[in-house]
Amino acid sequence: MSDPINIRDLAVGTRVKLSTGAEVEIVDNPKDGVWLFARYLSSAGDPAMVGSEEMIFAQDVVEIR
Amino acid sequence: MTMNGTRGYHPGLVDLASGQISREIFVNDDIYAQEQERVFARSWLFVGHESQIPNPGDFFASRMGEESVILCRDRAGAVHVFLNSCRHRGMKVCRYDDGNTTVFTCPYHGWSYGTDGALVGVPFFREAYHSELDRTKYRLVEVAQLCCYKGTVWANWDASAPPFLEYLGDFRRFLDLILDGWDGREGQAELLGGVQKWIIPCNWKWPAENFSGDSYHNISHRSVDLVGVGPSGRSRRDYSEFSGSRRLQVAIPDRGHQTITYVLPKDHQPQAAYQNSPEVAEYFRHCEEERRRRPGANNRLIGAPGEIFPNTALLPRQPRTLAVWHPKSAHETEVWRFFFVDRDAPQQVKNFLRDYYIRYSGPAGMTEQDDMENWNYAHAASRGVIARRYPYSYEMGLGHAVENYEWDELKVPGRVIDLTTAQASEEPMRNLYRRWAQFMEADSWDELMTWRRNAPLETQAAE
Repeated sequence: MSDPINIRDLAVGTRVKLSTGAEVEIVDNPKDGVWLFARYLSSAGDPAMVGSEEMIFAQDVVEIR
Repeated sequence: MTMNGTRGYHPGLVDLASGQISREIFVNDDIYAQEQERVFARSWLFVGHESQIPNPGDFFASRMGEESVILCRDRAGAVHVFLNSCRHRGMKVCRYDDGNTTVFTCPYHGWSYGTDGALVGVPFFREAYHSELDRTKYRLVEVAQLCCYKGTVWANWDASAPPFLEYLGDFRRFLDLILDGWDGREGQAELLGGVQKWIIPCNWKWPAENFSGDSYHNISHRSVDLVGVGPSGRSRRDYSEFSGSRRLQVAIPDRGHQTITYVLPKDHQPQAAYQNSPEVAEYFRHCEEERRRRPGANNRLIGAPGEIFPNTALLPRQPRTLAVWHPKSAHETEVWRFFFVDRDAPQQVKNFLRDYYIRYSGPAGMTEQDDMENWNYAHAASRGVIARRYPYSYEMGLGHAVENYEWDELKVPGRVIDLTTAQASEEPMRNLYRRWAQFMEADSWDELMTWRRNAPLETQAAE
């Protein structure tokens, strides 16, 4: 298991990988340490997600790209 | 006047026919619990000022009764007041005094709410909830009614309560004295600095009755008068302009609001004030001249301590402040004091007033310390089983208030005691406790809106 990522430090524009394998780009960071606002760049499990914006839970962020 | 085995409130504790009020209403824990439901959950309460949340996403953590609420401006610019409690397990979703945010996130399990109150983030929504949770059912709890009036924000949990301005009734003009500019322009007030907050070991009704217009306790402030904390280095305030005016207590009986006010003669000219600073003195001389030129009854009224039922105190003139007496327990009150200035006043004036305001009011203010000393010890000395047997006297001036008061062609609403001759009366306190007892006894707002029952049908329709 990788070290947890402090999502408070992630700037808008940063790309991160999620536990589902999807990749998203941060569009806003409320800096509450719990949530990010991000746009899906890829999502093999659910291709329909690509291009959509969602709130991303901190525990779903597994890697900074 | 004893409890007679009844643990909570019962009629007779407030006996206005004899002018006696039981100490139980101040010190009884069961009555305190009842008044949270019957008074605070049904009344209009002051929660803050729009100048505290000028931008989308701005928030200010306030209180209504014992409960934490969030005053915020959403991304579209609308003002909201929400209960500060997550719908999942009740954790506070906002633990800062104020700030700017895109979301209020619960630190317990991570539920997250937009500034419009919508539940926008649920961790593992797809995985754990299988996308089945109806998020629209779990918005932040929003107040039933909200009113932004000349910058001030008021809220009410009861949808059946009358609108705020109807709740104010004829008291509106006295609230205007603090919210309008020193020169009489509408709604010029802005908050000066932060909110001063502190806790006093007494029931919330002690400061509420004091600010209702207790001129009898002025002897308590004798030392402050002698020191001369006023803006001209004399007494407590610059009140030389009041020579020739009438000093009145005004009580609005069907609303429970009351105040002291001064009525100036028609031809009264502004008097010298703020003489420790020539620039500030000139600014206020100009403002007073402008105000007297404006049409309307308020250009001859000068505000003094007052109380909007149940727990908001106003002091329109000097220092210009609103205070909220937040109940914490039967024996503790958390005071929040908001200081105001005209938003376009010169910085030098704001600086001068900041020094004067905090010298006078707040936890370090010399005058407020006198008051706290009284409330603290009076409350403590009323808690014992023997002390509780003996009611307080509120008999002063009983039966001497007049209606349809008029002086020098200015009519004053409500029930009036002319303190210019009487010096003091307890009419405002009786008015406060009459309304408090009505709230404790009435099961619905229909019973509390006595003015609607008395009004002609066409007036009711207009309201």
